[in-house]
Amino acid sequence: MTDATMPLEVVSAEGHVLSAEITELYARGVEGEIGILPGHQPAVVALDVGAVRAVLVDGSDQRIAVHRGVLFVGDDGRCIVLADIAELASDIDLARAKRQQRILEERLANSSDASLLASLKKQQLRVDLGEG
Amino acid sequence: MPGSGQIRQLKRRIKSVRSTQKITRAMEMIAASRILKAQARVRSARPYAEQIHEVIKGLAVSNEVRQHPLLQQREVQRVAVLVNTSDRGLAGAYNANILKVAERTLREEEAAGRHVDLYVIGKKGAGYFAYRGRQAHRIWQGISDTPAIEDATEIAEEVMARYTETELDRAWLVYTDFKSSLTQRPTRMELLPVKPTEFEGGSELPTAEFIFEPDQAELLDLLIPRYVEAKVFHGLLESAASEHASRQRAMKSATDNAKEVASNLSRIMNQARQEQITTEISEIVGGAEALNE
Repeated sequence: MTDATMPLEVVSAEGHVLSAEITELYARGVEGEIGILPGHQPAVVALDVGAVRAVLVDGSDQRIAVHRGVLFVGDDGRCIVLADIAELASDIDLARAKRQQRILEERLANSSDASLLASLKKQQLRVDLGEG
Repeated sequence: MPGSGQIRQLKRRIKSVRSTQKITRAMEMIAASRILKAQARVRSARPYAEQIHEVIKGLAVSNEVRQHPLLQQREVQRVAVLVNTSDRGLAGAYNANILKVAERTLREEEAAGRHVDLYVIGKKGAGYFAYRGRQAHRIWQGISDTPAIEDATEIAEEVMARYTETELDRAWLVYTDFKSSLTQRPTRMELLPVKPTEFEGGSELPTAEFIFEPDQAELLDLLIPRYVEAKVFHGLLESAASEHASRQRAMKSATDNAKEVASNLSRIMNQARQEQITTEISEIVGGAEALNE
């Protein structure tokens, strides 16, 4: 399957993030990692906070940070990633993410708030992706 | 001379009106450019809401969505009213209009003997209700200008959590619908409970073919709150666009008014100056005549 491709749409609550023709897609679902190749069985998968990696037709990688998302694979082969927040790795402001991460870590040192922990997880993902 | 004092005063007033006009013109132009941006955000948020809706509809066909806690219809005793106002003023009747709708909703619900919890977004709304001695359950400030999805999530989560705990039986979202830059309509929308009819008419996702991870019911549990959040976000974005549009219109008429006031004042000033000159000439002529005699 060298020439088979599938269309990918990444839509976040703030807007359209990416629309591309891809050959492979990897994501972290709530029940484990999942990889999608063209011709995959239709699926609806809830995604964990994590990176979605898509291999574009030209062989390059596109990595997207996804928070609270769903991956939808239609019976026509199209993939849709719906997420509250989705950011391309290239759009991430690494300095800002690191700063936020530090602030959150300091605040977490004195408390263990679940929402703080979740925010920290988000920032960590941003930093990871931003560093490539 | 009595005339010169008057002229000086008029000059000062004209100057102050003109500088006000400069400010209002600047605000008008800023608002105009921000309408476009806000409108673009409304547009770009639409696909997400639509797609989520589609997926839910697909899942809802073969599943009993009615069981979901956010779709539970109960006898209404406690009502949440979320009012979407702006943080800043100088936006014409924007806040007054939305508060009128909010006030009507409050009155209706209270007339029916229900307890109302007020949620206010925006400084203007907070001030309005504080002045009238109405305690808001929660106030959010600093988000109505350029709302982010995190803000919508926070608001929606608070209300949804209380709804699930049966502390609330209904939630209204009062916001301003952006029809065009000329018309914005204050609107109220029943946010909760979510109507089962909203998820009808989907084409079923064939269960035999589809992989669901986790299972369908759990997916619905995840997606329905997203759907409510998207609605809140939509309301916030529409309101922001409306706020800028209202401000642009208000500032435009302020600029026009300032122009008119300035031109009236300079007419009066010119008249006064001419009168002064006439008086001076007649005094000189009078003096010269007196010398001749």
